[in-house]
Formats: sequence, C-alpha cells, structure tokens
Amino acid sequence: MKDSDVIVLSEPNLSLADQFYLPQVLNGLGTTMRHFFQTLVGRHRVISYPEQRREDIPVEEGGFEVRTYRGVHRLNKDEEGRVKCVACFMCSTACPARCIHIEAGEAPWPDREKYPVKFDIDELRCIYCGMCEEACPVDAIELTHEYDLVGLTRQEMIFDKAKLLKIFDETVEKEPM
Amino acid sequence: MIVTAMSMLEYIPPFAILILLVFGISLTTVAYLILMERKVAAYVQDRLGPNRVGPWGLFQSFADGIKMFVKEDYRPKGTDKVLFSIAPAVMMAVVLTAYAVIPWGGTMLSGSRTINLPAGQDVQAAVDQAMPMFRTQVGQPVVQGSQVTFHYGWPVQIAPLNIGVLFLIAVLSLAVYGVVIGGWASNNKYSFLGGLRATAQMISYEIPLALSLLTVVILTGTLDLAQIVDRQAHYWLGFIPAWNVFAHPLAFVMFLICLHAEANRAPFDLAEAEQELVGGYHTEYTSMRLGLLLLAEYASMIATSAVCVALFFGGWHFPGLNGPDPANPSVTDSLLVVILRSGVYFLKILGLIFVFMWVRWSLPRFRFDQLMMLAWRAMIPLSLAMLLATGLVVFFMGPRDPAFVSMRRLGGSMALVLLAVNVVLIAGAMLISRLLPAPPPTNRRIRVEGSRFTRTPLPASA
Repeated sequence: MKDSDVIVLSEPNLSLADQFYLPQVLNGLGTTMRHFFQTLVGRHRVISYPEQRREDIPVEEGGFEVRTYRGVHRLNKDEEGRVKCVACFMCSTACPARCIHIEAGEAPWPDREKYPVKFDIDELRCIYCGMCEEACPVDAIELTHEYDLVGLTRQEMIFDKAKLLKIFDETVEKEPM
Repeated sequence: MIVTAMSMLEYIPPFAILILLVFGISLTTVAYLILMERKVAAYVQDRLGPNRVGPWGLFQSFADGIKMFVKEDYRPKGTDKVLFSIAPAVMMAVVLTAYAVIPWGGTMLSGSRTINLPAGQDVQAAVDQAMPMFRTQVGQPVVQGSQVTFHYGWPVQIAPLNIGVLFLIAVLSLAVYGVVIGGWASNNKYSFLGGLRATAQMISYEIPLALSLLTVVILTGTLDLAQIVDRQAHYWLGFIPAWNVFAHPLAFVMFLICLHAEANRAPFDLAEAEQELVGGYHTEYTSMRLGLLLLAEYASMIATSAVCVALFFGGWHFPGLNGPDPANPSVTDSLLVVILRSGVYFLKILGLIFVFMWVRWSLPRFRFDQLMMLAWRAMIPLSLAMLLATGLVVFFMGPRDPAFVSMRRLGGSMALVLLAVNVVLIAGAMLISRLLPAPPPTNRRIRVEGSRFTRTPLPASA
C-alpha cells in the first residue's frame, strides 16, 4: 500500500446545533417519543404469534399467503387407505439435501411391484425446496402448509413413514390432494 | 386493648417504620423498573415487550428473580475471593444509604404539650426535657406566664441530616467502588477495563455534578434537603410552582447529564458497554450476585432521581399538599397528606426514571475521548460560569427580593432574572464554542512510509 492509495476523509462541518449537541439530542428524543406513543396507541406491526397467525392477516397488512408455503411433508394415501408411494426413489434422488431415506420392499398388493417398508425424512436436513414433490410420479409425497414444526431432540425430527402418514390424516381435510 | 396498642405505637421510632417502608417499596420498585425498562425499550422500537408472564407481563419480575436465584453461583478461577463477593454488596449498600436523607413528605405534626415552666429554668431546656420519645420540636414554643406550649412531630425522612447534600455527594461517589472492586476482583480484562473506565468517568463527572448541586445550594442557602424542598413549596404569581427547575433549567440539565454518568446509564454506560466489553465490570458475575449488581444499578437510579426531584422539582410539593402555615409549608397534621406527598414524590421519581430510560434508548454511547471532552471542555467550564452567575444574582438581587430576605425563597422577579441569566449563559456558551480552537483531528493521517504497514525490502542475500 502506497501513501497515494490512502483516501483521507474529513469530518463534515458541524452546524451550531450540532456543535452545542443538546438541540440534536432533543431532536432524537422526539423521534423515540413519537415511536413510543405510536406503539402505545397500537400502531405497531407486532403479531402475537401463537394467538395471531400471519396467514389470518391480509398480505397488505403484514400477513402472508399460506397456500404458497412449503412446510412439513406428508405421505399421501390412496382411496383404500394404502400408502400411495411406489418406492421409486425419484424423490430421494431429486433431493438436494439428501434427507429422504427409503427402504423398498415387495408390495403386498397386486396393483404395484414395490412399496416403501421404511420412509424416513430428516426434517432438520430438509431445505423445503419442494423438489421431491415435483419429482414424484404418483403424487405420493407432498409438502403441506404447516410451518410450526418443533421437537425437543434431533431424533424426534426424523419423521418415519407412520408419522408422515399421520400428517396426511391430519391435513387432508384442510389441504386435499 | 386497642388503646394500649395505640399508646405502644408512640414508642416505635417513626424512622424505623420509614426504613422498612422505603426499603420494601424501593426494592419492589427496582424489580419492576427492569420490566419498565424492557417495556420502554420495546415501545420505542415499535415492539410490545414482555407480555407473556401474567397480564402485561407483570409477573416477569418474579420470573426473573426466581431465575437469578436458581442459577449456579459461579466464581471463576483466579478471582479475589473476598472482593468478588463484597462488590455487589458494597454497591447495593452504598446506594441504599443514599435513601436515608431523602425528605419523603415534609414534617408530620403529632401533637402539642403544655408544661409548667419551673422558675429559673431555660425555656428551651424545659421543652427538650418534656419532649416525647422520638419526636422533634416543630416551630417555636409559646410562653404564657409560667406555662410553655410547644408542638412536636417527626420528619418524614429516615435521617434528618442538616448536611444532606454533602452526605449525598459523598455517598453517591462511593457507588463507583462497587464497579471498580467488581471489575478488579474478576481477574478478567474486560471487567478490569470496565472498572477503569468507570473510575475515570466518575472523577470527571463528579465535578460538574457537585458544581450544579452547589448552584442550588447557593439559591437556597442550605445543605438540608428537607429545607431545600420547603423553599420550593410556594408559588410564583399564585399558580406557577416555585420549583428550581423553572428558575434555573440550565442547572437542572447539567445535573441530569451528570446523573446519567453517575448512575452509569446510557449514553455514559461505558463501564458495561455490552458491545465492547462483553458485560463490562459484571462479565464474570452469575446468579444473584449479578442480580444484585443489576438491582443496584436501578436502585441508584431511584436514589439519584430522588435527589434530583428534591433539588429541582420541589420534592413532595404539589398544589394542595402544603401545610396550613404558609411560612412553614412542610408541617402537616394529617397522615393522609404525608402519604399523598410521598406518592407525589414517588411519581416524580418515576417520571424522571422514565427520562433516564427514554434517553438510554435514544442516544448512542459516547466514545471515551468524547466523554472526557464533554466533561472537561464543556460541562466543567459551563457549570463554573453558571455557579458564578448564580452567585452574582443572589448577591445583587437577593437583598431586593422580600421573599428571599425573609424566608430565603426565590421571588418571581428573581426567578425571571435567573432565567434571563440562563439564556445568556447558553447563548454565551454557543458563541464561545464557535471561537474555541478545533479539537485535534480524530482520524489523523499517519504516513504509511516508516509505519508498521511498510513492506520492508528483503535483505539482498535472501
């Protein structure tokens, strides 16, 4: 680095109010007081989350469109209540986060060859991109709009087949296939 | 039975009850001030603040207290065992000591007594002899023939010191010991730096603090806080409360700025500066020791605000709460009035604490050199000029003001002159600040050539 590379910035000239400091302080205090009273009379943008949810609020007022949200996965069932998945591994191949683990077995039903014996999704590894949903040839795996997904351990957040089917049962009325 | 209980009450010293009340109320308030601080912070930042524990988050303080108690009390290796433990206690004790001289509600008149004056005995000596326990004389005794009538009562003040202001200066500057001891004993560089900064800051801001205190002392001519309040307990033009803040706003502003430094509050909170020093002097503290340090910070806010209210906002004075005797407005015979006065005092303190919080969430922290510059180049010269000007006003205007001559109260004309002096002082300070030589440039350009950034040519042999 040469001396000529150094750019010397000079401080801006202060006005009389700046120099005496207090007028500018009062100015700043006025700003914070304005915000204080605005919040006091209820003009804030805070949403008390568990009671109020953003999907219940119009988008223009700070809500969001939940129908475009990609949340936790579910495994769909067909009309007879059997898992729709045919264990083709398309989703786990498409998955960029490598979070889908399938073990295929011979299907006990005559209309297909394979079905998943195990179907685990690591919800902590998942990036909720929706590629599995797009890759699935039989529309078996889907992302629901549920976003409040919590667990106390990492193990708990690896969802198995039973859990994913249960999510289907819970959400199928709200979000049909 | 009830009668005996009532007569027993006479033997309970009023200051003992006061101590219990003041401690109980102020320590509860301190816990709630933390909630208030968080609420104010949230509202200023367009948030809602704690609102989960109880209605409006009112039980948050209890939750915090329980949390503090159940946390592990950890003392890191290499700390000074004794000093580390006593630092929070020192801080809290010193702050609580300052509560002793706060005049919460004037004087409570509890009764009068008429005694026979033995021949040849001094009136005052006889009165002193007949004075009930734990009571003090109110007003002058009236002599009628061989009979003397005197009134007695008790001051609503834990320790009615006649050098209250002096005591406060001494005690409030001791509060920094907690910070310094805690910072030093922690055996941590961040804590140490926090303590160091607190010391330098305290030394600098003690001077303008004392000078603006002295300004009030010059105006009122007494060091007794109760009397300072008494002298503000009247009205100009019949309706403007004669509080010092209206006569001498500059002194109040200076005092308030110094109080922020004294209480280690933003923008002067360099001792704890979270962004620079982790937690400053309390980095290494955990559990209730940390809790005590934090509580002491808020307790000192109450103490300093109480002093400020006594000096500039007329203490307990509020329209309708003066006693019947206009010459002695603090004396009242109604316990209700005393309680109302204390309530008014408390509300004024809360208002001032709100200002502390408001300022904290508005202003960024000073850099250390700016802090020193503000004290030594601005506040100390200005407060010296203010002291001189106030002295001159009192010297020349005082003898012409009847209220000032008879009762040492500020009359309306004198207050106006003081206000004019304030304006002149501010205008003069603004003018002089223009003429002062500019401070050394903070971003001085250091030549790269020869500095540690120079790329030294390699020796030829290599």
